[in-house]
Amino acid sequence: MLEAFEVVTTSGVVLWSKSYAPVGSHVINSLINDVFIEEKVVPQGNAATGASPIFKKEKYTLKWKQVKEFNLIFVAVYQSLLHLGWIDKLLENISTIFLDLYKDQLKGNRTRITTYRFEPYFEQQVRELEDNTGSVAETHIAETGEKKDPLVSSDNGGPPPPPVPGLIKAQHQAALAGATSDEGTPPATPDTSRSGTPVAGHILTGKAGPGGRVSRRARKAANVNTNASSGDEVSRKAKPTKGSAKKMRKWDDNGFADEDDGENLDYSAPAGDENTSAPAVESVAAEDWGHKTGKGQFVLKDLGDEVHNILDNADAQKGKGSSAASGFIGSGFNAVGGLFRNIVGGKVLTESDLQKPLKVMEDHLLKKNVAREAAVRLCEGVERELVGKKTANFQSVDAALRIAMEASLRKILTPTSSLDLLREINAITAPTTKAQAPRPYVMSIVGVNGVGKSTNLSKICFFLLQNNYRVLIAACDTFRSGAVEQLRVHARNLNELSSRENVGEIELYEKGYGKDAANVAKDAVDYAAAHKFDVVLIDTAGRRHNDQRLMSSLEKFAKFANPDKIFMVGEALVGTDSVMQARNFNAAFGTGRNLDGFIISKCDTVGDMVGTLVSMVHATGIPIVFLGVGQHYGDLRGLSVPWAVDLLMK
Amino acid sequence: MSSQANWKSVTGIATLLFDGNLVAIAIAILFTFGVPIFLHVVFFRAVASPPSSNFLLLGPSGSGKTAFTTLLEAKSSPASKKTHNTHTSQTSTFVSVSLPPSVPTASNRYRSINDPSLKEASRNPVRYRVKDTPGHGKLRASQGIATLQTMAISNDTSTKIRGLIFMVDTAALVDETVLRDTATYLHDVLLVLQKRELKKSSAKRSIGVPVLLAANKQDLFTALPPGSVRDKLETEIDRIRKSKTKGLLDASADAGLDTEEEEILGNDDGQGVFNFKLLEEEVGVKVEVVGGAIKGDSEDEFGSGVRRWEEWIGMCL
Repeated sequence: MLEAFEVVTTSGVVLWSKSYAPVGSHVINSLINDVFIEEKVVPQGNAATGASPIFKKEKYTLKWKQVKEFNLIFVAVYQSLLHLGWIDKLLENISTIFLDLYKDQLKGNRTRITTYRFEPYFEQQVRELEDNTGSVAETHIAETGEKKDPLVSSDNGGPPPPPVPGLIKAQHQAALAGATSDEGTPPATPDTSRSGTPVAGHILTGKAGPGGRVSRRARKAANVNTNASSGDEVSRKAKPTKGSAKKMRKWDDNGFADEDDGENLDYSAPAGDENTSAPAVESVAAEDWGHKTGKGQFVLKDLGDEVHNILDNADAQKGKGSSAASGFIGSGFNAVGGLFRNIVGGKVLTESDLQKPLKVMEDHLLKKNVAREAAVRLCEGVERELVGKKTANFQSVDAALRIAMEASLRKILTPTSSLDLLREINAITAPTTKAQAPRPYVMSIVGVNGVGKSTNLSKICFFLLQNNYRVLIAACDTFRSGAVEQLRVHARNLNELSSRENVGEIELYEKGYGKDAANVAKDAVDYAAAHKFDVVLIDTAGRRHNDQRLMSSLEKFAKFANPDKIFMVGEALVGTDSVMQARNFNAAFGTGRNLDGFIISKCDTVGDMVGTLVSMVHATGIPIVFLGVGQHYGDLRGLSVPWAVDLLMK
Repeated sequence: MSSQANWKSVTGIATLLFDGNLVAIAIAILFTFGVPIFLHVVFFRAVASPPSSNFLLLGPSGSGKTAFTTLLEAKSSPASKKTHNTHTSQTSTFVSVSLPPSVPTASNRYRSINDPSLKEASRNPVRYRVKDTPGHGKLRASQGIATLQTMAISNDTSTKIRGLIFMVDTAALVDETVLRDTATYLHDVLLVLQKRELKKSSAKRSIGVPVLLAANKQDLFTALPPGSVRDKLETEIDRIRKSKTKGLLDASADAGLDTEEEEILGNDDGQGVFNFKLLEEEVGVKVEVVGGAIKGDSEDEFGSGVRRWEEWIGMCL
């Protein structure tokens, strides 16, 4: 069963929602955070087959549909255990109906104030689709006649209902009266735009049967204002004076409806009800408010008919849009108009418009050393964002694409929470609360062979020393010959530098070669805690990211040393491989432990081809913390997003 | 004739001008149309443009910015007294709302209570505009801070900023990470305002952009009182300030894009302890902390929890 359905704007306001069971608002929040903002989760959905993308959170599965024109998102939440095949269809239909009904409100500036009385339409759709579960793919055209609830058909055709159903019906009718007054009062209801159609009143009154129960609930929730109901009361009292305004049907022996008879058959509900919003009933032909089925049963036109009308119109328009551009404007003129709009702006972008510029953009990104996978996905994301949007005044397609790509890059590179390393170290080594005992802050550095792990470690060490910390370097590369000696040289140099400036202190923790790296790291952390060091920097052996044997030892390492931060060093020089490197290292520390940041080394060697930054962040969603920009100890920089985006778009 | 109608003598020029000469007609037309335009240009500029009434709503995600906006909207529309629920925002919105007539405005500050014009004002309430921004970390720089920067330097009334409201979730502020996040954002925002103040020449130093720290969710049991919120944020910003001075340069420093050196919030070279008072004295950015609650207001009045924030807005208008 469906748990909840919401219509949310991109600015975060829930325009309309319906929940069958309490669903925490964090469920949809996490959908917005993970999918729309951080793009952590790639929605698995296929636009071609019409299936909506899926997002799973806790025990719920969320499906959604985005309508860019109105900046709306339709979200359906249901339990993952259930397999509801009709959700796609529901999303599709509901969005069409909702947009059709509230077009004017959504375009205006009162979008967020309007109360959307969408309940009955939604109920109708859910009921219909639930009934139809087996044949979801079927078209909804012309199936209204057959698809009636048993209750409805017993009400309208066949022999007169037995007394018990009659009682039930009475309740329905009573509830209906509330619903009707609710919908029928012209001012302030969104229905006003449609009230001119002759069927409006009947649609609502015809909605006997299962709908009644829910609309009473809805009514309670919506808290109908007393004004409307009192007005209804008055009109109901006034009704009898109108005499034969209400035509009661009498069912003859053959089951045909006999309309002339004024005798009241329905003892359960006030008769005048149906005429409140449409006094001119006499003039309405029978076809307008109902139709006879093949079996000769007269079926009242219900909400479904209006809904189907809307859906059919939408389908027809879609078909028209794809086949011909417009009826009265020639295609040649249209092409010229398209060209003109390309210059002046105000053009609604389509996929074909974007194809060429996107290809150019992709090539541009590839030239900037962005991995192909990342470039393709970036372009797809931008395409998804732009299709259906209107360009601004005097904005060409290229310019629009460029702006969108810049925004997209900026969004990717900007970290969710900025890392201030010094503050974090302070929080650990000198906690403000008594509950936390001070301990050394542990950082570990991993990466592929030869990317500059030890060099960047020494740069970070220099930076920390400048800030007066006592730093312990743990030499956990117990594999490559000369690794420990290399660190020893760094430690000696840094010691010399720091003692000259009289800043921090540095020591090297080494256990020689051949030992288990995880154990050495653990010992180093214990040693640091005993000797009151502020920071422990752990250097690890370089390993190939697709070698399972080497990568598996990282999990044990993470468990033993338990570093506060694990940074991965990646070269700016690396091309396509960067995506796999980042992914494999990110997954290597076992469940619940990820990388905390990237250090991109050798940025000075690539000029403006800094695509690796994007590839790595795009693959994992983990921020870039430092950039290595030179050979000196001081050549370590933080990431500046505008700088990177500038270089990439140049 | 020729001796008189030339440019050499005064009478000659006079004759030329009163002649049916093309030049004379052209000059006359130029004067007739030019002078009013010229006067308009001169005097229209001289008159002060009406003050803008745009308020920017900033704050971390989940602090209640969108909820506040929808509440204001619901309050200013006569029909509905029901607010919509909200989720995480992805885009900014500009909404136009009106101040309740009971809230005094700064422009009516000196009026007597019996002033009939006050009654007039209550019939057409003061309207102002609020810009709601997304608070998510990834969207802050591109939407929150960027909007603030454009609004702060703009001279156009329709986009100029009048006041800044920074939402804080007081119930979550006990958590160290939330506090750090909030303070970092607030620090960045205040830094933008400080840059704006200091860039202005001292001669035309107008009143700065006032900042309201809206301590939201005071209805919750775990909420910190506004005073404590103030203290916590001050100490945390002080810490940020300290670590900023010692931190690494970012990569753009090498490229020479940003020539001006990194400024320190408070403009005192980071010597003393930071507090909002110092900011007001040194820079001229006034920060006020006012508690309130968007939800859980008492039954008698709709949206009474934000009354004090509306009063603050009224004092800005």
